[in-house]
Amino acid sequence: MTELLLTVFSATFFVTVIRTTTPLLFAALGGLISDLSGALNVALEGMMLVACLTAVVVSVYAPWYVAVFAALVAGGLLGALMAFFHLKLKADIILVGFAVNIFAVGATVYALTLATGGDKGTSINLPSKAVPAVDLSFLSAIPGIGPTLTAFLSGHSILSWLVALTVFLIWYFLYRTPWGLWLRGVGEYPAAPEAAGIAVNKVRAWSLVVSGALAGLGGAQLAMFNYIGFTREMTAGRGFIALGAVLLGARHPVGAMWAALLFGVFEALSIVMPNLFNWIPAELIHMIPFVVTVLALFAFSYRVQRRLRVKGLA
Amino acid sequence: MSATTSVPNPHSRWAVFRREAFRGISALVIALIVAFVVVLFTSKAPFEAMYQLLVAPLQKQRTIGLWIDDVAKLTVTGLAFSLVFQARQFSMGVQGQVYMGALAATYVAMSPLGTTWAAIPLCMVAATLAGAVYGFIPGYAKAKLGANEIVSSLMLNYIAIDIVNYLIRAQLSPPGKGLLMTDPFPKTAVFPALVANTRIDLGLIIAIVCVLAVWFALYRTSWGLKLRLVGHNPKFAEYSGIRSTFIMVSAMTVAGGLGGLLGSMFVNGQAFGKLTILFEGGLAFEGILIAIVARSRPLAVPVVALFYGYLRQGATLMGIRTDVPAEVIGVVQAVIILLVASSFTVPGKKLLARITRPAGEPPVPHKVQETQP
Amino acid sequence: MAPLLEAIGIGKTYPGGTVANDGVNLSVNAGEVHAVVGENGAGKSTLMKILFGIEHPDRGELRLDGKPVSFANPREAIDAGIGMVFQHFSLVPSFSVYENVVLGSEPHAGIKFDRAKAIAEVRALSEKFRLQVDPLPPVGSLPVGQQQRVEILKALYRNARILILDEPTAVLAPQEVAELFVAIRSLVAQGRTVIFIAHKLPEVLEISDSITVMRAGKTVGQVKAREVTEQSLATLMVGREVALKVDRADTDQSRRVCAVQNVTILNERGNEVCADLSLNVHAGEIVGLVGVEGNGQAELLEAVAGLRPVAAGAIDLDGSNVVPLSVLERRGIGLASIPEDRIASGLATGASVAENLVATKLNDRRYVRNGLLDLKAIGANARKLIERFSIRVSGPNAAVGTLSGGNMQKVVVARELSEQPQLLLVSQPTRGVDLGATQFIWRSITDARDAGAAVLLSSADLSELLALSDRLLVFYRGRIVAAFLNRGDLAPETLGTYMLGLSTQTPDEMRAALK
Repeated sequence: MTELLLTVFSATFFVTVIRTTTPLLFAALGGLISDLSGALNVALEGMMLVACLTAVVVSVYAPWYVAVFAALVAGGLLGALMAFFHLKLKADIILVGFAVNIFAVGATVYALTLATGGDKGTSINLPSKAVPAVDLSFLSAIPGIGPTLTAFLSGHSILSWLVALTVFLIWYFLYRTPWGLWLRGVGEYPAAPEAAGIAVNKVRAWSLVVSGALAGLGGAQLAMFNYIGFTREMTAGRGFIALGAVLLGARHPVGAMWAALLFGVFEALSIVMPNLFNWIPAELIHMIPFVVTVLALFAFSYRVQRRLRVKGLA
Repeated sequence: MSATTSVPNPHSRWAVFRREAFRGISALVIALIVAFVVVLFTSKAPFEAMYQLLVAPLQKQRTIGLWIDDVAKLTVTGLAFSLVFQARQFSMGVQGQVYMGALAATYVAMSPLGTTWAAIPLCMVAATLAGAVYGFIPGYAKAKLGANEIVSSLMLNYIAIDIVNYLIRAQLSPPGKGLLMTDPFPKTAVFPALVANTRIDLGLIIAIVCVLAVWFALYRTSWGLKLRLVGHNPKFAEYSGIRSTFIMVSAMTVAGGLGGLLGSMFVNGQAFGKLTILFEGGLAFEGILIAIVARSRPLAVPVVALFYGYLRQGATLMGIRTDVPAEVIGVVQAVIILLVASSFTVPGKKLLARITRPAGEPPVPHKVQETQP
Repeated sequence: MAPLLEAIGIGKTYPGGTVANDGVNLSVNAGEVHAVVGENGAGKSTLMKILFGIEHPDRGELRLDGKPVSFANPREAIDAGIGMVFQHFSLVPSFSVYENVVLGSEPHAGIKFDRAKAIAEVRALSEKFRLQVDPLPPVGSLPVGQQQRVEILKALYRNARILILDEPTAVLAPQEVAELFVAIRSLVAQGRTVIFIAHKLPEVLEISDSITVMRAGKTVGQVKAREVTEQSLATLMVGREVALKVDRADTDQSRRVCAVQNVTILNERGNEVCADLSLNVHAGEIVGLVGVEGNGQAELLEAVAGLRPVAAGAIDLDGSNVVPLSVLERRGIGLASIPEDRIASGLATGASVAENLVATKLNDRRYVRNGLLDLKAIGANARKLIERFSIRVSGPNAAVGTLSGGNMQKVVVARELSEQPQLLLVSQPTRGVDLGATQFIWRSITDARDAGAAVLLSSADLSELLALSDRLLVFYRGRIVAAFLNRGDLAPETLGTYMLGLSTQTPDEMRAALK
């Protein structure tokens, strides 16, 4: 037990958690934006996957920041595609989302074989790059807490710092700018912004593009820092866990951040625990985020229903 | 005196069938063209690749066997999704039901009962029950809590896979060998092959029976009629005194049973005859495509499964024999889903009609109603 | 002085043939309160939609400040200074009042939403026009009267010179109406112009300066409020020849089938839509519920059918209290109901005619045994009913959605009247139905009555009520304010007086017709 506590409260564990949380948080923020605008994005998984591959392949030929940008664009393009089929052609957004996910699995493997010249499983033969870590070891110079600070704060991916900034930016956008008001209005009661002359479909389309771009950044982190390179289906359900984080976080950016952190902790535990506790099976630890999401969904729905019932409406 | 008119009936079974078939085939053709374009630009031997895709499955008895075996499995998952779509629910849990069903069947097969003559029926029953329970959970949560069945069923899929993986590793696989699969089931617990040396087994018969059973349930029982009415217009169902929540939950439970049965078809079938990790390979989700193209009609599901299964087999062979991987079929799938999903709605219909209408055929009358999945 | 806003010869026909406006004229002067009155279907809503740019006229002209204008969309109307407050509000429940008011035109400093400025502006507007709305609370927590004033603030924030209010008092309690009128008077005092649609005549006469009366898509009169009497106004609105008549047989109407006793029904907001209502229906008679839509008739029928809960009181059907019974159980003891909106709740348009005809009878042994459908019986039933009710359809398996409005309604009628019911509830039976089907449906309802059914009929069409009913009960604000025996000498104008709230009968006067 003490071993577990020592591990969990160590700086290395903290660093691991930040690493695992980053892609989840990017995707969750993307899911949050589109969900708040009234378009549930079930394709976060596929968008992240495509972004992973794009990042890996582009990074072979270009610097890492171009690769990250390419991943962002790839996600955004998929978002635009979803917007076209859902908003223009009025196809059901769940079906469109699933189509994107199915497309992503197939297309990424296909593109992988093209890029690696035949390797279907991983991109291990490709010299793909990594996103640099931010070295803050100069903090050690501070007397007393210096080394601890370094241990906790140095070495994170630059994208991890970006995602923290993004949480703030999205919060600011949603609650301090008029366009955030428009987006939230469109999602909650579209008749109102429509009556005010706001183009509801344009807002939703933008939200889908942005959600794709954010999922794209999550994919970049996954394939250029957490792992270096692409493996088929490497997202492993993170896109859906991100949706769970949106729900668990009560559809608020800071809530989503805490929820993503929670899920990041579980993922980090599943990396660390098999060494400590071989009696807790790795699969069960891996299962925890999904179970928590289901329970959170039930609890959340129950609360909503109870509130409606109290009002006499359900 | 009858009130029928003498105008050619645009709603007769034949006319509807022709329209649906035309729509499904157009979507398929467009998707294949897309695939061809992709292959053309990326493969060194595109025509060879397309040849393998389109012709190869028919060349050997073994590959035909694989095709038919796939068709049986695709049919059952297509039926499961058709059921939930007809009730206008979006439960995506067939994959999880397959794994839980397979697990239940495995326990029966590996128990003392597994060596008796009753093994196969007991395995099937256990699998169906397990799947039904697993389908019941998201349904009940939706009915009682209003919980979104899409998210809950998807999460349950992952949970089921993790549970099965764990049990295989920790309990079911033979100790010490480090294999990620159980020992082969006793012969009495494996479906007999219908055509020797192929994978075509009892599963095919099960699939056919399921088609007839689902069709019968939907169109010949009051439960089925209530289910369809709830799917068409929940307010009208309430006005008629139909208990919508019961129907919703029972639809998802029955569909779950189908999923569980599919699990038994996997592990008790000639293809496996044992439980291994990740045996299902994502096949359950392809049921979505089948259900959508078949417009959730049980009798159309095996036909769509036949064509789609063929494509799938062709893609696998293309993947083995040429430089184009089988996964290109994912692109084909996605295009078909997008096209067919768009074709349900007016702007989508207009766009599609402009692209696909053959010269001379009049446009589909605006008032014709279709069943929505 | 030239009028501020004019509509000249406006005509509008909807696809499908409904002529909503047929040569409508409107002339509104600056700084006045102008009411547009008329029955349901008179064309008022269409005219307002045209004024606000939601619909476009087929012919005619709009003039603002003497210059011709046309609005392609609401944005253009708003920019021209016209604001509209609909009956169904467009407010985001979780947003605060000021957020709702400024949505789409938020004051901002750079990219930041200047909330302080928005709050101050909204508060200032509210005080200037005596609207008394606090800018801060979330709109969803406000009572309806306040929500309506938020909608008015929205229009004022965008500098509306002309405010159009669509039936503003329909959703208000009496004290809220008084508050609204205070606001309207202050709006006018500050130079704005108010147009509103209404049919509660006492209120109209209290607040308006001018009144335009519409009937059947035309303007039938433009009067000054102080020059007109209530009676003449009612006549203008409702007067017509009663042309259609249906022969009713003599029936024995002594047996009471249904008794509604002191029933109170609440709506989703907790307001009373039916208050302490009592009425009786006997076998062999048609009781017509007269009244402008929204006065409680529809809710009463829903409560009797089992689709709406009853807050207080009892409903008795043939001796037993039906309030605890489910819809299916009520149908089992002989209740049949033709709902107001056939497409929303009377039919499944994607299912076949045969399936729709049997949807309410799925526990009837003739059609369902041991859970299995007897397709032959269902098909035979369908063919029989198609012939009996002359439904024009290619066959029993055609999808209901392919039928015309009149034939769809015939399917509903056929289903509900396939067996002789004890109590038949009918709501708007011929809305959107062509003349031939209308006659047929009237005949079917009367035949059911002649054979002994008790019928409760609610309709917005006075001529329909006068043609079919044996007795007429007038609803106003959830209560019965008048009751008449339909002896053929009853003038629509008389009914109009009560429908529009101009007078109420005493209990003595009503007793004979209330039975």
